[in-house]
Amino acid sequence: MTPGKSYPFLVLCCALLHLSALAQDKQQEKLPVKFGKVTPEDFNVTVKGPDSAAGAVIIADYGNSSFDGNQRGWFSLAFKHSRRIKILRRSGFDAATVTIPLYTAGTETEKIESLHASTYTLEDGKVVETKLDDKSIFTDKISKHWINKKFTFPGLKEGAIVEFTYTQTSPFLFQLQPWEFQGEIPCLWSEYQVDMPNFFQYATIAQGYLPFYISKTETRRGHFFMTDPGGAGKDERFSFEDEVVTHRWVMKDVPAMKEEAFTTTLNNYIAKIEFQLSRYNFPGGYQQDQMGNWLKWTAALLKDDDFGADLAKSNSWMDDSLKVVLKGAATPLEKAKKIYAYVRDNFLCTSHDNLYTSTSLKTTFKNRNGNEADLNLLLTAMLLHEKINADPVILSTRSHGFTSPMYPLLSRYNYVISRMTIDSSVYLLDASEPWVGFGKLPTRCYNGLSRLISMDNPSPLYLDADAMKEQKTTIVFLTKEEKGPGLLGHLQSTPGFNEASGIRVKVKEKGQQEFSKGIQTAYSGEIGFSNLELDSLKQPDMPLALAYDLTIKPDPSNGVFYFNPMLSEGYKENPFKAAERVYPVEMPGVIDETYILNMDIPEGYEVDEIPKSTKVAYNDDEGYFEYIVVKNADNIQFRSRLQLKKANFKPEDYNTLREFFGFIVKKESEQIVFKKKKA
Amino acid sequence: MRKINCLLVTLLSSVLVRAGDKIDFNVSSIPASLQTNADVVLRIDETRFEITAVGRAREYHHYALTILNERGDKHARLVLDYDKLHEIESISGTLYDATGKKIKSLKKQDISDYSGTGDESLISDDRVKVHSFYYKVYPYTIEYETEVKYYYTMFFPGWVPLEDEHYAVQNSKITVVCPTDYKFRYKVFNYSKEPVVQTDKGTTSYTWEVSNLPAMENEFGAPSRYEITPTVCLGPDQFEVEGYSGNMKTWQDFGKFVYALKAGKDQLPEPIRQKVHQLTDGVSEPREKIRLLYEFMQQNTHYISVQLGIGGWQPFDAKYVAEKKYGDCKALSNYMYSLLKEAGVKSYYTLIKAGQNGHYMVDDFPSSQFNHVILCVPQPKDTVWLECTSQTIPAGYLSGFTSDRWALLVDEDGGKLVRTPKYYRRDNLQSRRIEASLDPEGNLSAMIRTQYRAEQMDELESMINQLSKDKVMNILKSELDLPTYDINKFDYREEKSAMPSIYETLDLVAPNYAQVSGKRIFINPNIMSRSRRRLHPDENRKYDIIGYYEYQDVDTTEIKIPAGYQLEAVTPKTSFESPFGLYTSTIKVEGDKILYLRQMDRYSGRWPASSYSEMVKFYEQLYKADNSRIVLVKKE
Repeated sequence: MTPGKSYPFLVLCCALLHLSALAQDKQQEKLPVKFGKVTPEDFNVTVKGPDSAAGAVIIADYGNSSFDGNQRGWFSLAFKHSRRIKILRRSGFDAATVTIPLYTAGTETEKIESLHASTYTLEDGKVVETKLDDKSIFTDKISKHWINKKFTFPGLKEGAIVEFTYTQTSPFLFQLQPWEFQGEIPCLWSEYQVDMPNFFQYATIAQGYLPFYISKTETRRGHFFMTDPGGAGKDERFSFEDEVVTHRWVMKDVPAMKEEAFTTTLNNYIAKIEFQLSRYNFPGGYQQDQMGNWLKWTAALLKDDDFGADLAKSNSWMDDSLKVVLKGAATPLEKAKKIYAYVRDNFLCTSHDNLYTSTSLKTTFKNRNGNEADLNLLLTAMLLHEKINADPVILSTRSHGFTSPMYPLLSRYNYVISRMTIDSSVYLLDASEPWVGFGKLPTRCYNGLSRLISMDNPSPLYLDADAMKEQKTTIVFLTKEEKGPGLLGHLQSTPGFNEASGIRVKVKEKGQQEFSKGIQTAYSGEIGFSNLELDSLKQPDMPLALAYDLTIKPDPSNGVFYFNPMLSEGYKENPFKAAERVYPVEMPGVIDETYILNMDIPEGYEVDEIPKSTKVAYNDDEGYFEYIVVKNADNIQFRSRLQLKKANFKPEDYNTLREFFGFIVKKESEQIVFKKKKA
Repeated sequence: MRKINCLLVTLLSSVLVRAGDKIDFNVSSIPASLQTNADVVLRIDETRFEITAVGRAREYHHYALTILNERGDKHARLVLDYDKLHEIESISGTLYDATGKKIKSLKKQDISDYSGTGDESLISDDRVKVHSFYYKVYPYTIEYETEVKYYYTMFFPGWVPLEDEHYAVQNSKITVVCPTDYKFRYKVFNYSKEPVVQTDKGTTSYTWEVSNLPAMENEFGAPSRYEITPTVCLGPDQFEVEGYSGNMKTWQDFGKFVYALKAGKDQLPEPIRQKVHQLTDGVSEPREKIRLLYEFMQQNTHYISVQLGIGGWQPFDAKYVAEKKYGDCKALSNYMYSLLKEAGVKSYYTLIKAGQNGHYMVDDFPSSQFNHVILCVPQPKDTVWLECTSQTIPAGYLSGFTSDRWALLVDEDGGKLVRTPKYYRRDNLQSRRIEASLDPEGNLSAMIRTQYRAEQMDELESMINQLSKDKVMNILKSELDLPTYDINKFDYREEKSAMPSIYETLDLVAPNYAQVSGKRIFINPNIMSRSRRRLHPDENRKYDIIGYYEYQDVDTTEIKIPAGYQLEAVTPKTSFESPFGLYTSTIKVEGDKILYLRQMDRYSGRWPASSYSEMVKFYEQLYKADNSRIVLVKKE
């Protein structure tokens, strides 16, 4: 989107409405249950298909959000929610415990009104109702801003129907209740209706793989009443009329969400609808944009005390400290590296999930700690202080979900890094993790669309996992010992960034000795391991190198010696264990692994058999696996190479990917067979 | 019944703070011997527990901890729990640099306050305050001072100065202050002196103190910490909780208190009473009555935990459970007790320390060391034990959660400590029969039938009963120890008895299970029962080795091999025995089949530290035997 040019899309042009071709009678179909009235026939519910083993099924889930004038001269949201669940088996009992999170900010708070919940069982053909008593509704204060209302249905048993209804009121107009059509258990009918008065306009954002059964819009006139507390004077009452647009969305026979490995977060794929307040549009002509655009947000963030306000200041409080830090640095790049290392190595990051700072940069500097926004904005300020061109970048981490490509939704962002330019070279920096090197980002940052927060260039920035090369090289030499059939060897490996980061963290947490024990465990019997060395362990700016010695002693009592040239490297198991796949495969980086082994043929042995050399392509040109063994007179040269060209794969590609890795596992388990020479 | 915590555990979670005394926290004043192998050094540590009345106490805690490196950061946080019965009066703290220079003080707004209700409870009144200085210039020192007020005296703090590995102690002490005529008890471990006793104006104090304890390292299978490091357990005679008073001088006394909390809570609603009689009146055999009522309880209740105030120790009454059809371990056990009582069967409400750590209990120091309640129904021949929080396990079966440990039986006469039964090697049986077939490409298809008995089935029992079938399938499809495979079909059958079994049938295919290299096939005949454990040699092993769990695995495997292949390399028989177990496996070829037999017996016991190398060897032999492949070669 070009900043400053157009307003964001409003509700009516929402992408969901292309379903208008649906038959009219379907559009008129009503909610199939009557909440509060359970008949013996209502117990005849079964689930067919892939979810037939489900422990519980939502028979109907119904939500309605509307706007009411309130006593404070403004509007409140009312969210009415009813749900009927059939508990099919004991494994579904968890569905009978309900938690409703409520938000509080200052004196404003979300509230629950008229909560009714009952369990219905069928006893001798009659429906028996057990009501939840008010004493069994509990309040758990989770933190400053959140409380949980919790209850569990009384008198539960297998085959029971449980049902609740409540109304939640909220003064927070920016939090119009979203709706998840899909959850942990299957749902036969999920319906959400929103009555939006014309004077509040929201952008509607839908996601997921499932189609709507009904998606309908109707317009009527609505009346609104509100009271304005006149302070010392008299309360004033208002009433007015405006157009109200009612949206109704229904999904039918919604399958349960399934967890899968290699997904950034399931939240990206769940069938869900969300809203973003975009505009006030009052009849008297009072209009105000509420969503903004990236140009406005960029300016606002840079002025915000909790984001960039300190960046524009002279920050002379850092003068003296920076002099010490920068001692001996001549060029801008040297300076930048020193500043980066200084922040990374001297400040503790308290959390990695923040769009905003927790305090001023000066306080962060004094405290030697802060969240990742504090640290990376401090880093940016320090670079700017040294006249190095740097800007903040905001992004959403992988586990936090994708950002919106359509709307300028700040709420989708939860992380800040720094982007620096020196002599037209661009560097992305994150000083919040001790194991991250200069110019590198942790995997969590590679989640697609991000934003550069710069008035000169307020632009999108793509951080794709495809750009994250996970390059690993391992070289092994095995040479004959002076006497006897044994071999002495040395393995040297430079793991890719992710693996290296993992090693750095592990050694930090458990110590090098424990890490060494872990490698040792991979060797046994005829192969011995010793002298582990880790290079650049504490210098995250340098690639990590790992090396150790090997001794190989063929068992003299056997006439044959079997040897896997991959040693402890390679794939022992298929990383794609599940036989089916629904969501895309999202790997943390692009695999590129090379393994080379040169070995002497053990004294007194000859090669009886060697694995066949082979090369297979993955989806034509999207990657390949190569396995090459060359036998010479007294040595063997071996090389295995795996390269993929991308990190993200469609669900349709899953089987190919699984078979490809299955082949690698198979090939990498093959053995070279040596036989004792006949005397 | 979470609130019934062991003394030792209570200590670990209680910490406090006020700063200001001029103590030298310069890191250079730590003796070198304490820095060896240490991530943190406890510089000073003073706990002062003051009993102000039978039901009131106050705990001051002041400590300073030097964090030497990043691995010590986990100790740098202050975590202080509280609830309606004990409140935090004050917290203060200071951060110092390596030279002992003050960097900053704790600010009130930096203390976070969270709900302590975990996932296992619907609701509790537990809350927790957390603070950290979040510092990372090592070494640094944190000092905290805290004060907690207790409105009950059921728990005294415990004292285990060496609370973790890589944790050295420069100085630590605990003082109990009480009215001179107040009676409390203590028991020490690895502490040879008597406490220092001082009397002043009607109050007496008792102090235990240690200095310069070097850091230790955890060892595999080592005894509980109190057995190997200086420890003091403390407990009251008379105590009070929310208007209930009790005495825990003896187990019998403590049992009386527990009984008083539940007295009169066994009244059943009329329809349930009728149901009890309808189920059992015609039944003469008491065991059958027990089974019928237990299954009735299982079918009509489920586990929900609500822990508020005294509710942490007191069960909801039987009527409550009958109406709501749920309860926690206390409420469900009391309900079951009431059902049996109605049927004329006497049972005991039984306190126990469940879970893996439950084997350790200071049995000669009566105190509230329990975290769970079960039911014990003595019978002339054999006692029946009932776990009332499971809706699926058979009557009379305890599972590894509560077997082989101390338990406190409670009735109107008080408490009595008894042992729960142990499941022996031949009880904990895994018997497996595999019929498999291998094709020339190395693909394996197998029909695997396994009987899991007693503790060998515990994990499986909860999996198949708590998860839906598709979730079970997902787990089976992803968690077997095979490189690539798929499950065609699975089935489970349960044999419900006091010595229960689960019979599993798996129909699976494992592509490329065997490796085909040219004319050879490499195959591990041990398809499903491979030991993965490898221990690290430790020449300086310090402590005894303890293993509570014993079991027997028996495997019979037949693999049909492709035509034209013969055995090239194989060890026909592997057999070894050690104090830790017995292993035998044999491989032979009969016609077109490989026949592989394996038996592995793991013994339980307590062994001296000197036998550790033998244990390492045992697991190495086991690993090697289980992971070695046989080689088939195509006949020329």
